[in-house]
Amino acid sequence: MPEILRQPAETTYAAELAALRADDDEPRPVGWKLSPRRVLTYLLGGTASDGTTIIPKYVGNRRLLQTAVATLATDRALLLLGVPGTAKSWVSEHLAAAIMDDSTMMVQCTAGTDENQIRYGWNYAQLLAHGPSEDALVPTPLFRAMAQGRLCRLEELTRMGSDVQDTLITVLSEKTLPIPELDTAVYAQRGFNVIATANNRDKGVNELSSALKRRFNVVVLPVPDSFDEEVSIVSRRVAEMAVGLDLPVPKNVDEEIKRVLVVFRELRSGATADGKATLKTPSGSLSTAEAIATMISGLSHAAWFDDGRLTPDGLAPNMVGAIVKDPVQDKEVLSEYLETVVKKRREFAPYYVALNEAL
Amino acid sequence: MITYLGVRHHGPGSSASLVAALDELAPAVVLIEGPADATPLLPLLADPAMRPPVALLGYAADNPRQAAFWPFAEFSPEYQAVLWALRHDVPVELIDLPVLAQLPEEDEQADGTTSCSCGETSDDDGNTGGEATNDACCSGDEEPSDAEPDDGFDLRDPVSALATAAGYEDPESWWNDLIEQNPAPGPVFAAIGSAMAEYRAHSRTDDETLRREAHMRRAVAKAAKTADGPVAVVCGAAHVPALQAKHSAAADRALLTGLPRKAAAVTWAPWTNARLAYASGYGAGVSAPGWNQHLWDCRGRRDVATRWLARIAAELRADEHLVSTASLIEAERLAVALAALRDRPQPGFEELREAAVACLFGGDPMLWNLVETRLLVGNRVGTIPEGVPLAPLIDDLARQQRLTRLKPEALERELGIDLRTDSGAARSALLHRLRILGVPWGTLTDAGRSRGTFRERWVLAWDATYAIELVDKLVYGATVEQAAAGLLAERLHEATTLGALADGCDQAMTAALPTAVDVALELLAERAALSSDTADMLAAVPPLADVIRYGQARRTDSSALGALVEHLVVEASLGLHYAARPVDADAADALVSLVLATDRAIRLLEADAPADMVDAWDTGLADVVDDPQSSPKVAGCAAHLRYAAGTLDAADVVLLVQRRLSPGTPTLAAAGFLEGFFAQAAERLVYDADLRGAVSTWLGALDEEDFVASLPLLRRVFANLDRSGRSRLLAAALGTGGRRLIAMAPASDQGAGWQRQLEVVTTILTGGSSSQPKTTDEED
Repeated sequence: MPEILRQPAETTYAAELAALRADDDEPRPVGWKLSPRRVLTYLLGGTASDGTTIIPKYVGNRRLLQTAVATLATDRALLLLGVPGTAKSWVSEHLAAAIMDDSTMMVQCTAGTDENQIRYGWNYAQLLAHGPSEDALVPTPLFRAMAQGRLCRLEELTRMGSDVQDTLITVLSEKTLPIPELDTAVYAQRGFNVIATANNRDKGVNELSSALKRRFNVVVLPVPDSFDEEVSIVSRRVAEMAVGLDLPVPKNVDEEIKRVLVVFRELRSGATADGKATLKTPSGSLSTAEAIATMISGLSHAAWFDDGRLTPDGLAPNMVGAIVKDPVQDKEVLSEYLETVVKKRREFAPYYVALNEAL
Repeated sequence: MITYLGVRHHGPGSSASLVAALDELAPAVVLIEGPADATPLLPLLADPAMRPPVALLGYAADNPRQAAFWPFAEFSPEYQAVLWALRHDVPVELIDLPVLAQLPEEDEQADGTTSCSCGETSDDDGNTGGEATNDACCSGDEEPSDAEPDDGFDLRDPVSALATAAGYEDPESWWNDLIEQNPAPGPVFAAIGSAMAEYRAHSRTDDETLRREAHMRRAVAKAAKTADGPVAVVCGAAHVPALQAKHSAAADRALLTGLPRKAAAVTWAPWTNARLAYASGYGAGVSAPGWNQHLWDCRGRRDVATRWLARIAAELRADEHLVSTASLIEAERLAVALAALRDRPQPGFEELREAAVACLFGGDPMLWNLVETRLLVGNRVGTIPEGVPLAPLIDDLARQQRLTRLKPEALERELGIDLRTDSGAARSALLHRLRILGVPWGTLTDAGRSRGTFRERWVLAWDATYAIELVDKLVYGATVEQAAAGLLAERLHEATTLGALADGCDQAMTAALPTAVDVALELLAERAALSSDTADMLAAVPPLADVIRYGQARRTDSSALGALVEHLVVEASLGLHYAARPVDADAADALVSLVLATDRAIRLLEADAPADMVDAWDTGLADVVDDPQSSPKVAGCAAHLRYAAGTLDAADVVLLVQRRLSPGTPTLAAAGFLEGFFAQAAERLVYDADLRGAVSTWLGALDEEDFVASLPLLRRVFANLDRSGRSRLLAAALGTGGRRLIAMAPASDQGAGWQRQLEVVTTILTGGSSSQPKTTDEED
């Protein structure tokens, strides 16, 4: 058993990648370890020619992933955009694993990230001792990816300040990273490219400047399309997390997941499930990840304060917390939804009461 | 020698290959799949004033309701074939079953209920689409798909079946790649023929198609006998094997017996790109007429994708989005890469769309949706030359005029209509429909709320130009009813506010156009849910309430409306106190009048309105009253309405008025509340001593500056009282004859002024009329 809690994708799925690579004779862009079509197979699942089953890494719109892979096959950078919990980082990691067999060249962008962590830093001992020189440079993952012609991942691009984001403009358009101190530059080798991820509806992120946005091809990953798909994702994650947190899972959890997801999906999509009525949407994203968090808090509430019974009363405050992010607007949206839709559904009667109370 | 050219209807690639094939073949006669009795109309296509998209319109001469359209776009192979023949002076003939044999039998509906709102719906419910119609693919397949219950989809759609066999997900793409956009097509027509033969061997064909093919076979055989050279047959690809196969003439004759022999009228009608699209409900349309047009415009060029992206950029720039040329280059590169990844010979519009979304729209498909219709559908409208025979709308009008016994006369004539009688209702509906169509034959004299009564008074005057209006409106339908419903539906789709939609619904109801009513209700429901504009929702309630309340006079069904009004009221009530948050004076006035109108509407409905709705409304008003942030005027109005409805009792009202007018409240806010409350209810002050006391206390507490500042407002409040009302109020406030007033002592420094005021007031109170009661309010 490896001691590492979580291995990078290329290690976990090494067998699949090897099987796909074994007889890949299709043309591939410079530096790629797999042809674009095999990359798609790796992501969407299938069977390798030696019979190895390829597990689907991403369930959803095939066309979107085709766009993503096609983007990387040109020398354009790819920006994966989407609400939280839509598997952006997951896709980014697997794309890098499939294309380069290496998903570890990654910069985690935060509000505290500065230019030195994007371009290069200095080893100050060296700098003071010998003056500016290549030896005194501390390369970043982006620096190394350019020099070696590899893929660099930028996670949560919009979390870092706009001024730092702008460092990327020259890198993306001219494929050059100037080092004025040494009067030289890093010229990107063929095969270099960038996959960035960003939230588009989160609060507390910086604006992505249009100058930078123009340099990316943007693929927006949507929330799961079908109800059943989402129910199964939530059920599986809730069960896993409940085990991890030592929370007992009551029997009715599946039914409650369905009800909570009905509410989340209807509000998120702005229409009732039967398509008969249109609704307003709240300002929050109501992603699958939030549905999971809501259920987990509900379970925790049930386990610690409610004798293990999972009830609408325990879930309602968490649901309100997920739905009402803007105290004025969202409250109106939710109460409108309750009055016009939920009130008329008999099986939701406890939720109608509990949610109204929690409001 | 007979050559069969199997095409895909509205396929620009087919058109291009077809023209090339015809040039090479140089046929002596061109036969085209299409209603045979429309052949004499074909030469009109060469008229310079005839600009596609246009449609052949065939209808039963005695019943225009039974009608079908065969649309032609510039890129339709049939259109190009006709043009080729006319250009080369080669005889051209339509060889399909005549119009009436293709029309669905319609008898039980002949009495006036609309079964189809606009022209093309009648051709997607059946057989009529035979020619210019046809969806994804080749002809022949759409009839079974519409007319018969399912038999497995692959039997109904040859292209889907063949595309699936070729490993494609999307039959459109398959056809596009193989035929429409194949850069080196080779002997395309032969290949299509054999593919279709294989397909037909494994599928079932319905009787209708068999009859049509028998008819075509006979026509082809006849033409082959007399023709002096090669014969070219242009038909939907699916028909090719059936036309080529050997059939005995006797069998064909047997198939064709018993067809209707009635005469059909055929004419040209202008068409629009929008109605060539599936989305318009035209079951035999293409998914993107704009794209097809683009392909046709770019035929023979290698820069189809570039030009398409340039058009996307132009549309975006027209909407003031920034699109750089560099992004266009990237978009094209991505599209090419995508096409390669998907094994397509060149980017289709899906690749271009996805590339555009990723590179030009920042990944946001919503933005694409904004320009999508303009690009993929396009806004072309066809024109037809003058002198085209017979306009069915005019025919239908003449028929309606006979039925309703209304004669078109140029001189003005008055007409009273009793809506309770059938003939009256029919006359009213006809006149209202014509007004929708821009033909004001009748003018309603008692304009306003016509449904409040069962009588309508019209002035009729016919003008010869009205006929021209009707010819223009042909695009919306073949009968007055269909055209009016179609036109109204289009306007409804363009309407931006709920109020406009509600008015449209009212109009549709008045003109007895149930399909348009449905459209209006659907749009209202959708917009109402999306709208966060409380004022807009409130504006929609009164007209809808009118429809419900007075709809019975016209025997219209208003059950769906009830639910909608309830929904609107509930939603508006929830948002009301947000809408009433600080707004400027004009907005407050507007909101007050909306609230008053809505309240009236709700009271009007009260008897049959669900209690929930009335409760919700009351709660909404209560929220406004209780919300310290609401605009005082609106709060005053809401308080008054609750008081009037009896949900706020007298003691609470006095308390409320006292609080709102108490010294802590800024004078302006207090005055606003006062205005809102009493604007419609000043006479309450006469009867309600407690209220009067509260107001009086407030007035007495104002210092001079504030008092003077409030004067205009106070005047406005009491302006609604007539003279006797004012004198009663004064009497109530000051005692009969001003007893209490006289007992008051004047302020020391105001002796002369006080004397003057006293005179004026006393005159009013004693009923004298000589003085000008300008200062009545200054009782203080």
